Parts: sequence; C-alpha cells; structure tokens
Amino acid sequence: MRKLALRNLLRNKLRTLLTVISLVLALVLLCFLTAFLDLLENTSAAADNRIVVRSAISLATPLPEAYWRRLETLPHVTGITPLNWYQGTFKDDRPENFFPRFSADPATVFEVFSELEIPAEQLAAWQQDRAGFVAGKALADKYGWKLGDQIFIKGDIYPVDVNLTLRGVFTVPAVPSSERQVFFHRRYLEEAMSNPGIVGTYFLAIDSPDNVAAVTKAAEAMFVNSDAQVRAETEKAFQLSFLEMMGNVRLLFTAIGLAVIVSILFIVANTMAMAARERTTEVAVLKTLGFSQGQVLSLVLLEALVVGLAGALIACGASALLIGVFSAGLEKVMPLFGTLAMTPRAWAIGLGLGLLVGLFSGLAPAVSAARLNIVDALRRVA
Amino acid sequence: MASNVVEIDNVTKRYRRDDFEIEVLSGVSLAVPEGAFIALMGPSGSGKSTLLNLLAGIDRPTSGAVRIAGQDITRLSEGDMAPWRHRHIGFIFQFYNLIPVLTAFENVELPLTLTRLSKAQRKVKVETALKVVGLANRMDHYPRQLSGGQEQRVAIARAVVTDPTLLLADEPTGDLDAKSAEDVLDLLVQLNKEFGKTIVMVTHDPRAAERAHTLLQLEKGRLVSSAAPAAHAAAGISGITGVAG
Repeated sequence: MRKLALRNLLRNKLRTLLTVISLVLALVLLCFLTAFLDLLENTSAAADNRIVVRSAISLATPLPEAYWRRLETLPHVTGITPLNWYQGTFKDDRPENFFPRFSADPATVFEVFSELEIPAEQLAAWQQDRAGFVAGKALADKYGWKLGDQIFIKGDIYPVDVNLTLRGVFTVPAVPSSERQVFFHRRYLEEAMSNPGIVGTYFLAIDSPDNVAAVTKAAEAMFVNSDAQVRAETEKAFQLSFLEMMGNVRLLFTAIGLAVIVSILFIVANTMAMAARERTTEVAVLKTLGFSQGQVLSLVLLEALVVGLAGALIACGASALLIGVFSAGLEKVMPLFGTLAMTPRAWAIGLGLGLLVGLFSGLAPAVSAARLNIVDALRRVA
Repeated sequence: MASNVVEIDNVTKRYRRDDFEIEVLSGVSLAVPEGAFIALMGPSGSGKSTLLNLLAGIDRPTSGAVRIAGQDITRLSEGDMAPWRHRHIGFIFQFYNLIPVLTAFENVELPLTLTRLSKAQRKVKVETALKVVGLANRMDHYPRQLSGGQEQRVAIARAVVTDPTLLLADEPTGDLDAKSAEDVLDLLVQLNKEFGKTIVMVTHDPRAAERAHTLLQLEKGRLVSSAAPAAHAAAGISGITGVAG
C-alpha cells in the first residue's frame, strides 16, 4: 500500500512538486515568524532583575541627570547606571559599519550589566581616561582593534564628534551578540555638550526578580507630578518595544501565520481532492479486489501525509539554513538578531503544521474515497 | 452432481433515479454449479451487469437472497463484504482497470498484499498466475507498455491469483480486437477446463458466448431462456436451473 501511495504521488510529478513547494514556502514563512517571536520573547540578553526607566514621552526625550540619585533611593535597587544612545557615524553609512555606541558611566555600567566581563586593569584604565572607550570582543576582532587604538565617530543625534582610545575589551559569554557594541565615557559627551545633564535611559538592577514589579511601579510614581514623567519597564519589555514600534508584532505575526496556513490548507486540500477524484475508478477497483474502507482511507491519507511531511522537512531544513544566513546578516544592523535561530518551537511548528496540513487536506478526499459506491464509480467511466 | 456455487433466489433490484423507481431485476432465480462457464446476454438495460454486481457483492438486491458457496451475502455487513470479496471473487472488467503506476507483477500482486503471505510466497503466486496467462516475460512492464489484449490477460491473472471461488467477467472482450478477444476467451476456457474455475461472463458478443457452457438471456430484468450454445449442445453441457417463465 505504501508503494502504491508513493507511486500515486509521482503520477503527476509537476503537480506534486508545486504542491510541496507551496507548502514549503508557507512553512518557511511560519518558521521565520516563529523564530522571530521566540527571539522577541526569549531575548536572552535581557536580565530578569533589571528594569529600564526612560521618558514617558518618548525614547528621544532625555531625562534629567538628577533622577539618578533619586532612583537610587528606591527600595530593592542594588545598582543604577545611565546610558545615552550616541549613535554617530563610524567610517561611513554602510550597514556593516553600524554598531551600537553608548555613552556610559564607567563606574557603574559593569556593575549593573554584570554579564559583561572585562579584566579589572582594563576597566580601571577606562575609568581613568575620559576619552577612552571599551568595545565588545566580537567588534574589536572584526575591526582588528588593539588596546591604545584610536577611532573617530562623527556625531549626528548629538552634534559633537568623538575621538576615542580603546582601553578595554569586554566579553559576554552568555550572549556573544552583545559583544558588538561600544561604551565611552559619559562625561566626555556631557562636557562636549556643555554639560546639559541629560540621560537617555537609566538601567536599574533589582535585588530579586520578585521585586521588579514593585520597583517599576514605584519608579513611575516617584515622578508622576514632575515635568519629566518616566516610564519604567522590564529590560525585556524595553527591547520588545523597539520592534513593537511597528505595531503589535506578535498579533501581526500570528495573524499572518494563520492566514498563510489556512490558505495553504485549502490549496493542498483542493489538490489532494483533485488527485483523488481522478482516481475514482481505481478506488472502485481496489474496493472490488477486497480493499476495505479503512485501507482505502489510509491509502489516500498516506499520500497527503507524505506531501505534508516532505513539505515540512524541506521547509524546516531550508528555514534553519536561511535563518542562519539572515541572523548573521541582520546582526550587523541590530545585535539582537544575532541570536535569531531555528528554535525547537519553530521546528515543532514547522513539522507539526506540515503534518496537520497533510492530514486535514487528505481527510475529505480520503473519507469520500472510502465511502465511494463501487457500482456508481465504475458506471461513471464505463 | 456438482454442488451449486451460486444460488440466487427470487432477487429483485430497483434503483431510484430522481422521482422514478426503476426495476432492473425482477424475481430472478438461478443456480450455478461448480465448474460452470456461463455467458449472460441481453440488450442494454436488461440487468446483466446488475446481476454480475450482485454476484460480486459490490451491489445489494432490493429483495431476495444471493448465496455464494453457501453463504447468503446479502446478510453481510459492509465491513465483512470487503474481505469476503477478496476471498471469493475474481473480477475481470471490460476496460481491464489495471493500476497504471504499478507494473504487471505489482498489479497481480495487489490482491495478495491483503493476505498474510510473505513476499516470497506472493512472488511465487504472481509468477505462476502471469505464466498461466502467458505474460511471464512482461512482468516488469507497466500497463501503458502492454497491448489491450495483454492488459486484459494481466487483469485475468490479477483476478485468479487469489484462487477465488467465482470468476466474474464483465464484457472481457468488449474493448479488444478479434485476435486478442480470441486469446482472452481461450484463456477463460483454459481456466474453466484445466483449473475448474466457475465463470460467469457478461457479453454482447455471440462468439464469446459460444465459448461458454451455458447461455442465459436476460430481458427487462428477467431470465427468459437458458440454453447450451450450439458447440456444447451436442456434448450435453448445461446444468443451469431456475429460468423464470
């Protein structure tokens, strides 16, 4: 029976190929969407016990430096560090020369971001040099930077250029994609800007993830009656907000995924039904020979399942390959995407949906073939 | 005297077409002894194929009983009917109805895949069946690579490979040229004579009917005559009972 099912699939090779291709395309899209959603939901660089405090108006609106000391007084806060997104242009505007550049406080940044590892003497050297900067190892390796090397970054958001000397190289063993950024001395930027006393975001380390909600609420309440109200959120939510600027990404992805899979289900079901209809006489012959309803049902379902499984395997394999390529490419623009991967959930969804499409697309023609009246079917052709 | 393989008792078959009810068979009774070779003739719409379908267990009578090898098949459930057909019926279609994606060997093997026979045992049976029909050298050919006559011989091999109780043929020569038709008829005669197969054959072709032991005429759903074809009359071969009227 397996032989007959497989031969039937090869009967119209072009039709089978096109059906599998359409399924593969849909499943590749779904695997990508799932991998993206998993990336958003499991951004491993984000710590469970860190929150971000920023302006309630927008990310582009800075907060007063004076908030630093006040936020520090909140219960359960074990550390605080300010970060300003400097951006600027390094070498040229090409995407491959883009990497995140922050002005940071050398005294606290490595305490709050405890997953970043830097040799103590290099940290001390950076702390003592206001024109110094530290770079992630991946970035330093990419440009071949060595300690003492100088770089020039042309300002854009901030109308000042910076000349920086490499004083340290940090590693992030848990999240290698976080090694593609640089931190330079916060005071350098402040002085170049005539000390405006502004901070883009505050990162707060909390003593326990259980207290994150309470601190978030307290931080927002602290400035509720001020001119510069704040928005506090977990680091993960903060990272997601960048992507969700495009809208409700999760809802959008889920809706696209559902629409695609339902459409493809109808297409495959139609093809399977067409293939089964063309073989009405053969089904009648099989039943005359003694094939039971169950055996005929299994035969047609097997064909549909093979299409589904083939589509799923090809799609998952192709997705794993393509996601790897995309991940490497997108990481240059946004380090977050460095961790984009074909997750177990994406594999499960790809394979599971492929088989489900096979099963459901084959169900109607299989039941119809199993219930076929032999005499009517033979008379149709005779 | 040989026992009856087929016993049809007062069978009526009516079909419903829209608002009309059509009686295709009217009180047909028939007994066919083991080893008989019967030709069923009659004009279109006389009920020949319906009678054959009832014998094959692929259709059910409106009333009456159909006993094959002593079993009233009208009492079998749909689930029991499929394995019953597999054990007792070999069916030869007018248009051969081979599975085009399977070779001659695989087509003949198809009914055996429903048994518990090993692959080696199946191979022996298939090769024997194809040898009997004279196509041992065409086993690996697909239906499209065979002539019409050869296709029908493969279909006959498929019908006999399970050694069924009853061989039913629905106009087996209807789609063949004269030479191929002769070959197929020779084969059916051989199966009947040498292997003792009981055969019921529906045909429009008087030359095909000549090869049977008994000729049954159906008209408007009734058996109107039973006679030995001329060639057999002298030999006294008939043995069919139950013609109405």
